[in-house]
Amino acid sequence: MNDDHDGGIDLGRVWTGIAAEVWRRRPGPVERLAARLLRSPGLARALLTTPSLLLPWLISTVVIFGIGGLINLAGGEPLVWLLAPGIAAIGIAYAYGPGIDPAWELASSMPISERMVLLVRAVAVFAVNAGLGLVVSGITYWATADGLHGAGGHATAAAAAAVTFAWLIPMTAVCALTLAVAVVTRSASAAALTGVLVWGATVLATRASAGVFTAAVTNTATYLPYLAVAACATAVIGYATRISRRTQ
Amino acid sequence: MNIELTSVTRSFGKNKAVDGVSLEAGPGVLGLLGPNGAGKTSLLRVLATVLPPSSGQIRLLERDPGRTADRREIRRRLGYLPQNLGYYPAFTVVEFIEYFALLKEVPSARVPRAVAAAVERVDLGAKAKSRLRTLSGGMLRRVGIAQAIVNDPDLLLLDEPTAGLDPEQRVGFRALLRSLGETSTVVVSTHLVEDVGAACSEVTLMDTGHIVFRGTPDELVARGEGHGIGDAPLERGYSAVLQAARAAAHGDGVAA
Repeated sequence: MNDDHDGGIDLGRVWTGIAAEVWRRRPGPVERLAARLLRSPGLARALLTTPSLLLPWLISTVVIFGIGGLINLAGGEPLVWLLAPGIAAIGIAYAYGPGIDPAWELASSMPISERMVLLVRAVAVFAVNAGLGLVVSGITYWATADGLHGAGGHATAAAAAAVTFAWLIPMTAVCALTLAVAVVTRSASAAALTGVLVWGATVLATRASAGVFTAAVTNTATYLPYLAVAACATAVIGYATRISRRTQ
Repeated sequence: MNIELTSVTRSFGKNKAVDGVSLEAGPGVLGLLGPNGAGKTSLLRVLATVLPPSSGQIRLLERDPGRTADRREIRRRLGYLPQNLGYYPAFTVVEFIEYFALLKEVPSARVPRAVAAAVERVDLGAKAKSRLRTLSGGMLRRVGIAQAIVNDPDLLLLDEPTAGLDPEQRVGFRALLRSLGETSTVVVSTHLVEDVGAACSEVTLMDTGHIVFRGTPDELVARGEGHGIGDAPLERGYSAVLQAARAAAHGDGVAA
């Protein structure tokens, strides 16, 4: 037996084995699923410690999307499409960075790539917003006059998907811009503020030019600029997180 | 050699925090001494691969940290306690250490036992399930040490590990250091010369980014013989070496 120690029992080793069992943390189903999908228990744990994926943020996101959906039902204006990019930007801003993650320096010395942690956290925040936005968009579209009376089930679903896809493009741009500001300035608040202000200005500017309140998400002419902004911001993020520019 | 540095420099703007440092170290406990601003923390961060050097060559654990695959392997075998340990207040001691064990890619099946062993080594068994926000500064420091050693590192870098520890805990910690140094390279940055005397097999003294002394604690003590400043022999050696280095830097021609 391994516990034999100079003819006796190594009580320290026995105790460590007992303590390991007593103290062992059992990962929840979400963490187990994430570990399987990401093929890394460490990355799964890092994902679940995303600072912005806390219950208050999730609740506030659900509430805001819910209110947006109700407003849509009442007035027919798809405001939730306009809200979603701003909310996602705030979540992204508070997902990563030295000013946000208290153990950031320690995490920077770990074998699991900092960029991978950043990526899975950003994808998680994005997925929560995208999923919720898709549900609310679908429900409100179905419940409004166009959906209920003007189109059949398949057509309604297709239209909701098309709208959501259109809305994901500006959301991608706003989130990428916010993340770029967060990693460059190292301030989540500055990033969140920038993201929300830029998005607000975009909504107002497109409304003024097109005369439609939701033009920022429905005007196809804006998609290319959004994608260009997203690409530039991604390049900035890549530059700012490269090894030689890390913590100082 | 687990550490091989050749003319390593790290600058922040015009300030050279680490200036042309060359250093080699194998298994053992290496004490890194020096006044505030000497460059100890910057050097440790370079060794921890958190901060890349501005110039010079580095090899850690016989690998090149500038290469992604090598850096990942180095980090698997590295333990690092930063000067300011950031932590998640709502985590328990075990959760925090386990988190870093997973980030260090310790195989999942081995994590619970590795965490329990690390907790026991820093004598925090009674607080294993306590939230970090409820712990004292000294206990948090011990949590930081536990996360650093949870992967049985071959290279252990500790920045001010005894800050906040009471005298009894420091005695225990020095014993832990000596035990770790039997198989690993342990670099300890500290202001406390008594820690160096009690636990370190070698001492490196830094000032203004340069290494101004490298030797055993006994050799540092010998440098202080006949020197007036300092209560303890090691402190006198420390002061004598610093004074000589600064005089030499100002062109007085006194060798450090």
